[in-house]
Amino acid sequence: MIRTLYILYGTAVLLGLSVAQYQGWSLATVNEVKNVPRSVRDNPGSYRSVYSAYHHYTGGK
Amino acid sequence: MVVSAGGTPPARPQVRALNCPHCGAALTLRSFGNAVTVVCESCHSILDAKDANLQILQQFKASEDEKPLIPLGTRGKIRGIEYEVIGFQRRTIHVDGVPYSWHEYVLFNPYKGFRYLTEYNGHWNDCSTLKALPEILPYSPPKVRYLGETYKHFQTAKAGTSFVLGEFPWQVRVGETAVVTDYVSPPRVLSSEQTGQEVTWSMGEYMSGKDVWKAFHLPGDPPEAVGVYENQPSPVSSEAATIWAAFAAFLLLLVLTMSAFDLSAGKAQVFTGYFKFNSNQRGDSSFVTDEFEIRGHTSNVEVDTSTDLNNRWIYLNYALINEDTGQAFDFGREVSYYHGYDSDGSWSEGNANDSVAVPKVPPGRYYLRVEPEGDPGYGVTYYTVTIRRDVPQYSLYALAFGALLLPAIVVTWRSLSFEHLRWAESDHPPISLNVGDDE
Repeated sequence: MIRTLYILYGTAVLLGLSVAQYQGWSLATVNEVKNVPRSVRDNPGSYRSVYSAYHHYTGGK
Repeated sequence: MVVSAGGTPPARPQVRALNCPHCGAALTLRSFGNAVTVVCESCHSILDAKDANLQILQQFKASEDEKPLIPLGTRGKIRGIEYEVIGFQRRTIHVDGVPYSWHEYVLFNPYKGFRYLTEYNGHWNDCSTLKALPEILPYSPPKVRYLGETYKHFQTAKAGTSFVLGEFPWQVRVGETAVVTDYVSPPRVLSSEQTGQEVTWSMGEYMSGKDVWKAFHLPGDPPEAVGVYENQPSPVSSEAATIWAAFAAFLLLLVLTMSAFDLSAGKAQVFTGYFKFNSNQRGDSSFVTDEFEIRGHTSNVEVDTSTDLNNRWIYLNYALINEDTGQAFDFGREVSYYHGYDSDGSWSEGNANDSVAVPKVPPGRYYLRVEPEGDPGYGVTYYTVTIRRDVPQYSLYALAFGALLLPAIVVTWRSLSFEHLRWAESDHPPISLNVGDDE
């Protein structure tokens, strides 16, 4: 019983992995923005990046 | 007696009625003279069943609550053969001063002879005496081999008979003792009983209470099994081995899948650009790249950043923007690389290069908006941005590996826990219990 469940589960994991690889899933954090105006092409400064307020690293050891 | 060729079923066994010489109560003999002793249910006199006058061999005082779970006279089928319950006894061992009792039922079939059912805390065993002696193997702890199967020593204890009822094929007495040694190979157990110079071997096979109830058509439900019994088959031990075998097969499939995707993945470079960022310059640092086309099916897009950073950092706000739909994938990447030398020796931190995979990017015409940031005074940083589509992500394989491994570990852990509970009750408890005992 457990073996059958595991085989079904493992098959699902491998199928899921194949779909994820084919569709290009990734673990990266990316913000999706809709309807960015075409004017950004000519005026890049008009776009406000979601990550621009990020607190940056300021030094090494 | 032999069944006739015509298939006429044997006559149903008849019982012989007698009276107890002590109290006069009616006695029922069900074993056709095969019993050596019979116990009066009324006055608990143990009588010599081989004696025509039923000589009284012993009398004992019984507590009121000693009622067999399977009443004497009940018939049931064990391994397809009908047996009748003719005797019942309670036996007790003492471990560290604590009494542990189990019950034994004597079963009889006029053609097959005797067999026994034992019950302890809701765990049942179907037992029969051995026709040959097991081979004792020179191991410590001891092992025995019987019919090609090896049994591990579980427990040796002195068992005393504390209650008897019905008929027995031996000279039973309340208070008699025997050294009982159990060897287990679940679901079987080999038991030796030594009384003086006489040793009797028997084999038991684990039965669930439900199966016993079904075999004897008993009303209600059997008592719930408590704990793990010495030869109780583990519900997961056999599964653990097959799950690891399945895991190995899945691992092979995972490697094949990885190879297939690695070979078939486009990994096509769709853009590369070499840029310069001067953090000393004030004002807007953002810019956009030339347009590039991402072809094929929806896939990931890997953005690689390669810099000449040296004890500095740079932060890059990226936006991959679809020229036609206005859909943007916005993400930020900090790239920093520091190194030096101190009292501990040389050290380094971070990396001058960075890579990120943007998930599920549909095909289309794109451009990249870049907005670099850095500490004023750092000066000029040169960096290259390279974009590829359809690049295999090994982190997903690592996740799948973990997902496949986890159930195998859980099943193995459950199997080990079950065995731990089993052997905790033995003469060879797991090491952790020994430590606990010492404390």
